[in-house]
Amino acid sequence: MSTPITIVDDSSLSRKLMIKSLPPGWDVEITQAANGVEALEAYRTGKADVMFLDLTMPVMDGYAVLENLKREGMNSFVIVVSADIQPKAQERVQSLGAMAFIKKPVSTEQVTKILKDYGIL
Amino acid sequence: MSIAPLTSDQTDALQEIVNIAMGQAGDSLARTLDVFVELSVPRIRLVHVSEIIKTVYGMVDDREVVTAVRQSFYDNLNGEAIVLFGSSGCLDLAVLMGYASELSTSGEQELLLDVGNVLIGACIGGIGAQFGVDLSFSPPSIMAERVVLETVLVPEKLPWEYSLLVEVNFGLENSDFKSHLLILMAEDGIESLRQSLERFMAAL
Repeated sequence: MSTPITIVDDSSLSRKLMIKSLPPGWDVEITQAANGVEALEAYRTGKADVMFLDLTMPVMDGYAVLENLKREGMNSFVIVVSADIQPKAQERVQSLGAMAFIKKPVSTEQVTKILKDYGIL
Repeated sequence: MSIAPLTSDQTDALQEIVNIAMGQAGDSLARTLDVFVELSVPRIRLVHVSEIIKTVYGMVDDREVVTAVRQSFYDNLNGEAIVLFGSSGCLDLAVLMGYASELSTSGEQELLLDVGNVLIGACIGGIGAQFGVDLSFSPPSIMAERVVLETVLVPEKLPWEYSLLVEVNFGLENSDFKSHLLILMAEDGIESLRQSLERFMAAL
């Protein structure tokens, strides 16, 4: 069965780059979300076993998504994909329950390594 | 001379490129100061020179006096980068940078030139790096000191008709410090940017 994943980013270019960086051959069903509200909708309808989450977004940012997910039980493997690469940003999202952190610009190598490290791939 | 607006794809690509570049700028500032830097979503507008002050005024919400540091960049991408520093947080910045708590005028200038240079170099340099081009910079200079925002940019003194305006802001956690980085590109700068964006997207 393919893995439902959700890619959350306000930039369609950035979502496109993310999709291109997914490991070839990984069997996934992709949902795209342009902000945190759409991300939570996707999560609640079971479309986000894995979530690639941007931090800086209008409407609802990535930090708020993590807080909401935590409140709702965090039944998703969240990988934060961020241009905000400060060490404290990484610490902050990990304390909010994100499993991993990918620095933009994304690369297939970065994504593959994390998925392998956590046994998802 | 009129100028074609950026297409929505071009704007989206620029937004994302600026977003990544300012993340690098924020990281440089955070490492310099050892503090968490709060970043905004970049805002991009193509404006006529007569609208520029109104637009900047709408983007910069604080109404206190500002000090402006400017630096121009050229080779492959041409434009002006201006950092507006609100006055109230300067002391916080001085403490983080290890200056004495009594900040002299020249000390404050030096501090703002340093920090402006870090932000502009990382942000503009980050944009150039994503396009795969090298850029040159003029030395930073103080453009205006402790003045109201409306007097920083005077339309009559701007040598272009249309300008692409990119705004990002940086704040420091638990501090009043606020700064806005404005990037201004005139007509010829916009055209070379447009070509860079098209090349960037074609390479995807």
